[in-house]
Amino acid sequence: MEMNYLLKLENICYSVDDSTHLSKGGAKKIILNNISLNLEKGKILGIAGESGSGKTSLAKIIAGINKSYNGEIIYNFSGEWKRTKTNPVQILFQNNGEILNPLRQIESIVEETLRIRHQTKNVESEKEKIFESLNISELVRKKKGYELSGGEQQRAAFARILATNPELLILDEPFSAQDPESQLNLLNLFKKINHEYKITMICIAHNLSILNKLCDEMIILYKGNIVEKSSTQELFSYPKHPYTKFLIKAGNYSLNYEELSATKWKDEENNSTIE
Amino acid sequence: MLDVKIKKIILHERGTLLSEIKFALEPGNISTILGSNGTGKSTLIKSLTGLLDSRFYSVEGSVVFDKEDILSLNYSSLLDIRRNKIKYVFQDSINSFDHLMKFDYYFRRIAKDISEADDLLEYFILPAPHKLFSLYPYEVSGGMAQRISFVLALLAHPQIIILDEPTSGIDSAISNLFLIKLKEFVARKNQLTGEQDHAALLVTHDIMFAQKISDKIAFISEGKLSSFVDTQKFFEAGIDPSLNKFLTAGNSLWK
Repeated sequence: MEMNYLLKLENICYSVDDSTHLSKGGAKKIILNNISLNLEKGKILGIAGESGSGKTSLAKIIAGINKSYNGEIIYNFSGEWKRTKTNPVQILFQNNGEILNPLRQIESIVEETLRIRHQTKNVESEKEKIFESLNISELVRKKKGYELSGGEQQRAAFARILATNPELLILDEPFSAQDPESQLNLLNLFKKINHEYKITMICIAHNLSILNKLCDEMIILYKGNIVEKSSTQELFSYPKHPYTKFLIKAGNYSLNYEELSATKWKDEENNSTIE
Repeated sequence: MLDVKIKKIILHERGTLLSEIKFALEPGNISTILGSNGTGKSTLIKSLTGLLDSRFYSVEGSVVFDKEDILSLNYSSLLDIRRNKIKYVFQDSINSFDHLMKFDYYFRRIAKDISEADDLLEYFILPAPHKLFSLYPYEVSGGMAQRISFVLALLAHPQIIILDEPTSGIDSAISNLFLIKLKEFVARKNQLTGEQDHAALLVTHDIMFAQKISDKIAFISEGKLSSFVDTQKFFEAGIDPSLNKFLTAGNSLWK
């Protein structure tokens, strides 16, 4: 059981110097406060919370992009990746259009990634498998970055990520700005990839109802703190923390003004500031 | 209040994007155009006050407001309508601002009564005027810019507010605030006649938001706009196959 985890966070704290116009200068602003969690291999973890709750900061710390935190992260990767130049943690960002090279064919982007990862063996068959599982047609494979629609861009970026053979995939707000049909397609795609490639996933979103459909476990972040952590089923059937209840109700657009203004969940400036 | 009869919207490079767009906005109502990405929703709302670049687009038809066809007005009357009568809140509101002009400039220029700003900014959980006004647009987040843009639209005391995807990219709680404020807006009455004379038009792909906020909904797909029907009826009907597909996807996500 103990070795079944992929990732362990122990008391992760992260703060920044707060010198914006919006607050007093010179103070420290806490972005993440004592975050601890275990993520089991093969599971999908959902992280929900409003803008500014620390979702993306946490993702960047887990991915190793941001190293200026306190606390401990223990990874339990298989080891294959140690021989390669790719990172076992990959992030699928929101704005894929700006990330893909507009002047390169998708096929060549994916091919290059496969070659970077390992010696030239099996490139063709792996490429084929990736394109097939993402439903990327022959026609789209030949397209260049600038020729892709929003949905195609997202799948192309996803193909490149699969080519790195990640062990942990972080999805950063993949559903926002997508219409319902694309959201449903993506949802099914993530489940399929989780299953077929056995990739552990973390999905960040402010839309709770989609996380309900995708994730095994959930954490709710509020101003850098985990206010609730449980299985998805339990979280949605028996939400405990008032903020979780608030978020669920907000997601159904059923809050009235009293509930909105009565909550303490407003952006009280400097609330999380320490002197 | 706004009587739209657009025969065609043509993108010169590609041909006809939308045709036979007919609808009217009624006072006291929130009307919503629901549809997937890429169906021309934003193009449609931009065409209503001549915001499409005429080098690339042509619009055939009429949009009648206050007994005048907006599409054939001279430039200064058009500006007057855009400034005082019909306000937009765009999805990428941040790009509606010149990044080198402080918010002070926008509030003083647009607001009919600047003292109303305090309450509205507080309502939308934005910094107080003395803080916000000294910021440049590049200093706020995309979600904040969208809220600021909505506050500015309200401060201009328009008769019609048009919103493009008000829920994408912002938190659900903030969307709730939009919903409540927009309902208040359309319920306003003319001080002289005592009759309702405000309306709102939304375009969105957020089915649940549309269901909660709208009095009437129309569906846009494949270059055509269905007629507006009462919200309840819209979700009962469902004869159109592409509408069914759209609603089914939404249902399996949320139910």
